[in-house]
Amino acid sequence: MQLSYPQMIDALLKEAFVHRKAVVGIFLAINAIALIAGLAWPKQYTSSATIIVDEKNIIEPLMKGAAVVTEVADRAKLAKEVIYSRKLMGQVLTSPGWEKAGRTPKEEDAIINKAIIPNTKIISIDKNLIKIEYSNANPDRAYNTTKKISDLFISESLAAKAKESQDAYDFISTQTDEYHEKLVNAEALLKDFRSANLDAQPGSEGAVGTRINSLEEKIQQTTNDLNEAETKQESLTKQLSGEAEVTVAFTREGQYRTRIAELQQQLDTLRLSYQDTYPDIVRIKHQIEDLNEAINKDRTERQAGRGQARVLSEEALAINPLFQELRRELSQTKTQIDTLKARLVDARRLLHSETARGRRVHDSEAALAELTRDYQVNRDLYQDLLKRRENARVSMNMDIANQGLTFKIHEPATLPSDPSGPRFIHFILGGIVLGVLIPLGLLHAKQQFDPRLRFDSVIADKLKLQVLAIVPHLVTPSEEREVVASLRGLALLIGANFGILALVVGLKAGGVLS
Amino acid sequence: MSKIEDALKKISGNGAARGPGPAETARRQQLARAPQSIAQTAQSNQASTDMTQRASSRAEIARMEEVTPIGDKAMAHNKIIHPEMEDGRVLNAFRELRTKIIQKSLNGNGVIMVTGVTLGDGASFVARNLAAAFALDTSKTALLLDCNLKNPQYDGINSAGARLGLTDYLESEDIPVDKIIHRPGIDRFRMIPSGVQCEVPAEYFTSVKMGKLLVQLKERYPERYVILDTPPITESADTSIVADLCDHILLVVPYGKVTETQVEAAVKAIGQRKLVGVVFNNEPQLPKPSVWKSIWKLTPP
Repeated sequence: MQLSYPQMIDALLKEAFVHRKAVVGIFLAINAIALIAGLAWPKQYTSSATIIVDEKNIIEPLMKGAAVVTEVADRAKLAKEVIYSRKLMGQVLTSPGWEKAGRTPKEEDAIINKAIIPNTKIISIDKNLIKIEYSNANPDRAYNTTKKISDLFISESLAAKAKESQDAYDFISTQTDEYHEKLVNAEALLKDFRSANLDAQPGSEGAVGTRINSLEEKIQQTTNDLNEAETKQESLTKQLSGEAEVTVAFTREGQYRTRIAELQQQLDTLRLSYQDTYPDIVRIKHQIEDLNEAINKDRTERQAGRGQARVLSEEALAINPLFQELRRELSQTKTQIDTLKARLVDARRLLHSETARGRRVHDSEAALAELTRDYQVNRDLYQDLLKRRENARVSMNMDIANQGLTFKIHEPATLPSDPSGPRFIHFILGGIVLGVLIPLGLLHAKQQFDPRLRFDSVIADKLKLQVLAIVPHLVTPSEEREVVASLRGLALLIGANFGILALVVGLKAGGVLS
Repeated sequence: MSKIEDALKKISGNGAARGPGPAETARRQQLARAPQSIAQTAQSNQASTDMTQRASSRAEIARMEEVTPIGDKAMAHNKIIHPEMEDGRVLNAFRELRTKIIQKSLNGNGVIMVTGVTLGDGASFVARNLAAAFALDTSKTALLLDCNLKNPQYDGINSAGARLGLTDYLESEDIPVDKIIHRPGIDRFRMIPSGVQCEVPAEYFTSVKMGKLLVQLKERYPERYVILDTPPITESADTSIVADLCDHILLVVPYGKVTETQVEAAVKAIGQRKLVGVVFNNEPQLPKPSVWKSIWKLTPP
């Protein structure tokens, strides 16, 4: 059954009128209870302190990447854990208002668990604000306790944070030392190995390879040169065997005749231009005559000398220049062949030794790679840790100097002047409101849960019957008189109720009632 | 004390039921004659047939003999509606009910049984006021027949002695119908109490005489509505028997007293054929503004 709100309220009011005595009775009873509760309610004083968790400070951007600011995930949760710890609570018990000598731990626990923890509220107002509240019947005690809790909370938190940084630093430091040792060991091993294997240098293998290659090339080159020189020697030897050692030179007569021919040619040329009387022609004729004369003289001398052992005069004999040249060449080639042979032997010896060395280098290379790898890994880790240790040191120093995540009292605890919690007037107003709402709520519940028909719409909609008329209750004059009388009585009661409430509120405000 | 009883007592206090005085009779006859003449002249006119019928019935009904009417105060005291009521909500509800029933019964006359779901649901109140609502219309007359033989609503032994009623008529051969029809002091309103005799009720209602009586009562006037006030259908066997004799049945469902299941059972017992509808009775009302005002007056209301 769906009723609109006006329908529901109308039905509720009608029902309330029918049950007016009960409704007014409940109203008066609730008012009375609220009045008594308001008078009997114990006064509670609440003191509160707000702590600001400041993590945005000047250091952070400066130290970005170098130091890690200690994070606080759930501030209120963290605060609760710190505050409700036995250590902190134990210290609170020594604050003014709680101190008392000779308490057993059991009694202390009872006070902590019954008087302090249930009355302490820790609220995370926003990301960076924590509010600590403590309520107590005694305002001084409320103030002192709140102050103590907030102070202790801050000092505890800072100590915890500093300890955390210190621990982190110590751990990283230990690790760094450990790696340092490992690195030194690796270095020593590498050094020993290198001392033992001098060839084991980085790149040795390549160098050896290059060297072998160059030697092989050299051998090849030398062999080629040798072959070439030998071929040359052979050829020179052959040429030498077919060549005369000396040659006989031409006679002096021949030289004269050659000269005469030259002069005759000059004479002929001149005769083309000049007459025979031209002085030059005359001179040349004389020269030719002189030369012919010299020839004749020489011929004569030769005739005179004939019949004697033929001795070649030095002038006529000359050493053959080609023969000389070939002899020199052959000698040079022989020297070259010897040199090349010696060089070839040397190169082969070197190649042999290089090959042996290469084999050694190859063996030591694997061992070296492993040692080097160990060394490099240790070195990298060590360097990284070294950097981290410095970061941790800075973080630790920040915490020591309270420069990282800081806790500051934003609003200090104050001595509460007014009691907290519901006031007397709240009880009175609450009583009036509840006094109206509860009976109406009960009537509504009755309408909802009582299966008896109260709405014609149910007959029409659910039972599918036509409702011809809705006949309201007909009030007879005598009934009307009764209604008026009862309404008067109820109005008087309600009036008296409000009168009493006003009187008590007035007395309370005037300070007559505590 | 029954409700109508006071009215009857008052009438009997004035002496025997009296007929209209000479002046009154003359006036009524004059009133009756005028529509009759109109009816004669407009006989051929088809469109005015209803009007004619209505006029004739009004004339006939106007000739009914009436006793001195009971006052508004007495009616208010007995929870009977009257046109001068201060709070018109109940009056209007019954007028509306009357109109709807007239729309349903086409031939004008009808026997309407009013029954309830459970005892004390106000079926008699509805029956009584429905009859009164019919009687408010000058062209209609209503007759209230009390069928609550075990628990008579309007009968009883008063100081004036036993009043003859339904059972007396059905029992005895020599009591004419006129003797059991009483005039409670409301114009065009007649009633028959349940009677003095009360033995085995079922046997009265099954008799042929009962059927004949209903026909006779219904047809006595052109627009007469016979209203039967019966006990709750689920509580009494009489009601089921009477249901067969009537034309229409009204079921009274009281506010906040019965569950859906009870209503369903009652509807099942009645059957859908004759059931005209449901009257949702006794819905609580906030008092009239005058009541609120009178709280602050020093004098008693």
